[in-house]
Amino acid sequence: MPRLLALVAIIFAYAVTTPLQAQTESVTPLQDALQTVQPDVANPSRATVPAVLRVLLQADAPGTVDFLRAWGDREVYERPGDGLFFYATDAPDRMLSLIDIDTGETVTEVSTREVNQIRPNAGVRREIGAALVSFELLHPNPDRRLAALDNIARSPDADQIEALTAARAAEDDSRIAARMDRLLDLLNARFATDTAVRVDAIDGLRGDISTEARRVLNQILQTRAEFAPEIPEGTNVARIREPGADMELTAAYGTLSDAGLAPARPGRNTIRDALRTNVVDGTVGGIPVHQLTTDEMRRAAYAALQAEGIVAPLVTEADMRAAVAEVVFFDAYLEPDPAVTTAARDALDSTRTKISLWQFVSISLDALSLASIFFLAAIGLAITFGVMRVINMAHGEFIMMGAYTGYVVQTVIPNYTTSLIVALPLAFAVTFVAGVAMERLVIRHLYTRPLETLLATFGISIALQQLAKNIFGTQARPLTAPDWLAGAIQVNDVVSVASIRVAIFFMALMFLLMLLYILNRTRLGLEVRAVTQNPGMAASMGINPDRINMLTFGLGSGIAGVAGVSIGLVAQVTSEMGANYIVQSFMTVVVGGVGSVFGTLAGATLIGFLQKGIEWFNPANTLAAQTFMVLFIILFIQFRPKGIVALKGRAAGD
Amino acid sequence: MSLDIPRSTAAPAAKPRSFLHENPSVLWFMGLLGVFTVAVTVLSEGFGIGMISTNLVKVLGMTLCLCLIAIAMDVVWGYCGILSLGHFAFFGLGGYAIGMWLMYARTEIVIRDSLGRGTIPPTELEVSEAVAAQIFGVVGSSELPLIWTFAGSLPFQLAMVVLVPGLLALVFGWLAFRSRVTGVYLSILTQAMTLALSLYLFQNDTGLRGNNGLSGLQNIPGFLHVPQSVLSVWFFWASACALGAGYLLFAWVVSGKFGSVIRAIRDNEARVRFLGYNVEGYKLFVFTITAVISGIAGALYYPQAGIINPAEIAPIASIYLAVWVAIGGRGRLYGAVIGAAFVSLLSSWLTGGGAPNIDLGFYRIVWTDWWLVLLGLGFVAVTLFFPKGIGGVFDYLVRKKP
Repeated sequence: MPRLLALVAIIFAYAVTTPLQAQTESVTPLQDALQTVQPDVANPSRATVPAVLRVLLQADAPGTVDFLRAWGDREVYERPGDGLFFYATDAPDRMLSLIDIDTGETVTEVSTREVNQIRPNAGVRREIGAALVSFELLHPNPDRRLAALDNIARSPDADQIEALTAARAAEDDSRIAARMDRLLDLLNARFATDTAVRVDAIDGLRGDISTEARRVLNQILQTRAEFAPEIPEGTNVARIREPGADMELTAAYGTLSDAGLAPARPGRNTIRDALRTNVVDGTVGGIPVHQLTTDEMRRAAYAALQAEGIVAPLVTEADMRAAVAEVVFFDAYLEPDPAVTTAARDALDSTRTKISLWQFVSISLDALSLASIFFLAAIGLAITFGVMRVINMAHGEFIMMGAYTGYVVQTVIPNYTTSLIVALPLAFAVTFVAGVAMERLVIRHLYTRPLETLLATFGISIALQQLAKNIFGTQARPLTAPDWLAGAIQVNDVVSVASIRVAIFFMALMFLLMLLYILNRTRLGLEVRAVTQNPGMAASMGINPDRINMLTFGLGSGIAGVAGVSIGLVAQVTSEMGANYIVQSFMTVVVGGVGSVFGTLAGATLIGFLQKGIEWFNPANTLAAQTFMVLFIILFIQFRPKGIVALKGRAAGD
Repeated sequence: MSLDIPRSTAAPAAKPRSFLHENPSVLWFMGLLGVFTVAVTVLSEGFGIGMISTNLVKVLGMTLCLCLIAIAMDVVWGYCGILSLGHFAFFGLGGYAIGMWLMYARTEIVIRDSLGRGTIPPTELEVSEAVAAQIFGVVGSSELPLIWTFAGSLPFQLAMVVLVPGLLALVFGWLAFRSRVTGVYLSILTQAMTLALSLYLFQNDTGLRGNNGLSGLQNIPGFLHVPQSVLSVWFFWASACALGAGYLLFAWVVSGKFGSVIRAIRDNEARVRFLGYNVEGYKLFVFTITAVISGIAGALYYPQAGIINPAEIAPIASIYLAVWVAIGGRGRLYGAVIGAAFVSLLSSWLTGGGAPNIDLGFYRIVWTDWWLVLLGLGFVAVTLFFPKGIGGVFDYLVRKKP
């Protein structure tokens, strides 16, 4: 059966991966090739199969693999008159439709008597099966050889070892040879008959972190729970279980009674049901029914029934212990050879350390990606908060606005790459304008009342959220990344990073550098820093704080828009997406320290790594990770109320 | 029953310069609350002529609970200057505490009833296992979590209504005020607390049924035969009493010397500290007492709502609370009541489909879609142009009088 599966897999892969080949000079290349060895095909024997294969390999005709499969499955017919070969399907009136093996067209209908069905015996069929593998493994096209190797890896089988070894000897492409070596190790580790070869192969898998290697090792180490009066000779014992210590006593007894080696133990339910069926005149075993509200009374009643011999006896704990002491419970490896299992265990242990190391790398990359998203979402907030001491609760809605801008652009421009290139600056522009408008209309009038800015911007936030819902609906809208960002960068079987996350990381990096440049190297940056430190003094130096505030707010909002496009690429675009990020963004800002680009960077990194770190301990529960992270932040604020990077001077405020 | 409150408090009014003399709004409020309670009772289905549906009685009772938490919020924000964005967490905790008893006790009655029909009576263990399976089957568990150990005891859960929000506020407030977290930072910190709590409750394995929340709370164990029309009026009375008592308590708290100190803290914390007052202690007291009152309000609210789930505790709810108080007018207790009642009733009227949609010809305004936009913009307008909120109108009226 596995052999058949392998065949099917290979043929399937062949059908998928082989492009249509151009017709050569002959219209029927396969038929022609077969005719050169006509007798060997029509009456195959184990000795003649290789000759046929050689011919087919040389001809390299399309449909060869299909033919081999059909040949092995007794689906090829020979027409005695001209010796040509056909496939056939059933036709009415016990007729067969003959199908040309090259073109796949129905040629004619004949009665079953007019053609000979070719019936290779079991030995020949095995030969053909192996041949199918080697046929692909020896194929001149390296891609075909790799595909065949993948198929073997997918459905490994003992019979493939021989073909693979032969192919390995003939292989001259070093990349494919390495892959073959590893596959050989995998196959030998599982199927080789000689212990030394297997142990050797298993040692070759030491430190191999790929899933297929680990799967093979784990398969070798599969165990089965067993029990026996004494451990039988030649059993490869994984561990012995002590009932009561590393195995529940009731469970151990349960296995015994299931096997019929001990009387079943009446559980609470059994006792109850037994009492229920034996109620006589309102009493059971002499005890009135209404008194049976505790387990003790029930057991007493049951004991009375037992004395009458009506029910199966109770099994006490002592009984269970005695019964269990008669036998040994143990886990036995399915693999009988201890040398093999020891080697596999060693190999797996050595792999495990390496895997945890790689997992650490993987978590760190995840955390870095999360940190860059937090950074993008929070940096705009940090700027406005730092410069203007204004909490912008609508920041999340600016993120959402940016994401929806990206979505709208995508519906207008179908090319994902172009639309992304258009969407990024457009989102910046849209949210920049929205931010400036909000600053001029609302925030400007509330500078002396910071807590009320918080509330007013919250009012804007709910209005914007509902507006988005009215316009775009409650359904999540997709923002599709272009193809070149869609895949993942696969480092090995443990570590892989989605390309889009890498892109977001670089985008965050770019924004970091750009902001640093603007703040430290431009006139605007100088003025912003001056206003941050002392608005009054800055004003008296000829800087217009209103203008700076407006531009800062616009800049912060614009970055939120760009962040929205990037977040939209990894998450769904909904009217609530901003609200999901706002609290995290605030915490990033507060933890990092208000008004500092590096502070926000530190805050985002800390929160990103913290969240992923907590998730590592409990990977199934993202909610728990978030809960603990928020708790950590609350505690963190206790010890550094001004954040990681605290501003000095007037900006440090109260 | 609720009419007793104005009567009993009317006695000290005779003395000159008394508490009520200083705070005429208390008498007005008590009077109006009493009249309102009587009016609703007379119009209700359970006790009167049935002009007000049971559902509406519940909505009104719930609104009274919201008014109660709004005055708590007003004390902590409007008087003490702490913009807490976490008081709805205390409200929710109170609701959960009472909800546990309601759910457990009712399920236990149902289970005992069904098990008792068998030929032999159930054991205690069987009952509690069946109850646990019934309650927690929805989150794929059948064991009673540790925090439900005393869920069958009403006095214990009632104590929890007060103790859980109170202790949380005490610990959180102590940590926050001790390290001098103030202003916007404190707001964000309280918001983080709410977020953490709601995220925690959203988990299935924390023993409070995850996002399913607790349900069936409108059925009161021991009164299962009482129709909802009567129960709703009982709860309405209870809510009115709680609101009246809460109003009195807070009016008293903010009126004396204590009130002056917390207002001073709001206006300039540093100066009060320099005068030798223990600012942190005052703030902690206000924060904790308002949290306790919020918990009580929640415990009265959710039996009327019938269901509680973690979404109720989400940060947004607490921000809405601030919105009500701001619209009603901060720094005056009746302002908070007006804001909460006005906004929440208007909200349920407009989103409940009660309001007629407006056809503009080119566009049809559906209130369910536009209510939040209206609220948001209205709120911005109130913050910008009427910082005193609706309550400011009363200032105007009072000043007009000779």
